[in-house]
Amino acid sequence: MGSSSNTNSSGGGSDKEEDKGKGKDSSEQSFKEGDRVLAYHGPLLYEAKVQRIENLDGERRYFVHYLGWNKNWDEWVANDRLLKLTEENMRKQQELEKNQVVDKTIKSGRSTQHKPKGSNDAKVDKDDTKSLVKGKKRKSQPGTEEKERRSSESLLVSQFPLMLKKQLVDDWEFVTQMGKLVKLPRSPTVDDILKRYLEHRTKKDSKINDSYAEILKGLRCYFDKALPAMLLYKKERDQYAEEVKNDVSPSTVYGAEHLLRLFVKLPELLAFVNMEEDALNKLQQKLLDILKFLQKNQSTFFVNAYDGKCKGADGTKAK
Amino acid sequence: MDNVESAPDSPVQAPPSSASSLPKEQSQVELELRLLQALEFYPPSKLKGIHRHFVLYGLMEYLRKSLDRQFSSDEILQLLDRFFNLEMLKPEDDEKDNFSQAEDFSLPESFLNKEDNSK
Repeated sequence: MGSSSNTNSSGGGSDKEEDKGKGKDSSEQSFKEGDRVLAYHGPLLYEAKVQRIENLDGERRYFVHYLGWNKNWDEWVANDRLLKLTEENMRKQQELEKNQVVDKTIKSGRSTQHKPKGSNDAKVDKDDTKSLVKGKKRKSQPGTEEKERRSSESLLVSQFPLMLKKQLVDDWEFVTQMGKLVKLPRSPTVDDILKRYLEHRTKKDSKINDSYAEILKGLRCYFDKALPAMLLYKKERDQYAEEVKNDVSPSTVYGAEHLLRLFVKLPELLAFVNMEEDALNKLQQKLLDILKFLQKNQSTFFVNAYDGKCKGADGTKAK
Repeated sequence: MDNVESAPDSPVQAPPSSASSLPKEQSQVELELRLLQALEFYPPSKLKGIHRHFVLYGLMEYLRKSLDRQFSSDEILQLLDRFFNLEMLKPEDDEKDNFSQAEDFSLPESFLNKEDNSK
């Protein structure tokens, strides 16, 4: 996060300028404790939560926690740094982010190559190799610098296997762009996959590895909670309501496609554990190993056609 | 270290197996000390919430590092049980909030940009 330099000059009541712009009438907009908001930090907006509110010299001050960021970033801010969490404002957030990325790629040019070479990249398939060759001037991954400050994110983000990234983009395209769904229930389920990984691991270490066992339990637990809360695209909600009833665990219904989405969310979730750096690094290595296992079994774990029905789908043909 | 006398005479709750090869009394005290140190990072209240497995994992790592041997999660839970009534602990609010509000999944920009770059 950069310096917080964007105090949009609205010290007191900015009654005059009542346009649709940010902050609107900042004296009117009010937030409660526990509200989710968007908060400016430097040039960008971040999702945050209002933890406490106090009045300081007649001005309201909000103590915010930036979601997914270390608590060290928590801070007191004035009203004009906050926006309501609305769709419009979220679009604004994305726009700012996009502009920022463009800025950075222009500035940083070719000199910055963040990705460590070797091991990981060695066996990417043709598709990726092609893009590597073509893109000698491969751009540094946008936002890497920022991300690296989220201590819990660095490794898991920077070393996310390329083929699985592609899988996620395809997944995004099928569901959000083409209105296709993964047919449920899946086989293997998330549960099956995690169990298989433990077997694979146990065979490799020739004993049950307690750390891995605990991590896998943790992943399952996260998955069941996170699926309805943050792993579904809007278009998948009806299907969820239909397929997951009573006390059924999502991890026995959904499969690799949704498990993979959990890995995107993991850094954010793990930030709440406040782990020591050393332990966190080890954990991320292990999580990456699980990802590699997914990648190795990509053809059997993931569906090759999204053909579940989606209400309001336009009937485009699946591949 | 004589002021730490929490280790009971009878090893009723002593952790099984793995500890047996070490001189018991002393290693037990050491173990408890380390555990209490670890709790600074991993407050027991977090053992109740959604993050519990990863908190346990953190404890396992911490003890493994400081005492140079493996600990199972059961072993750690048994140890903790001497100091805390784990059943009575309540998860922190922060954790509940995390999942109470449903939001749609969105792929981070970096993933989508990546795709653009390679086209």
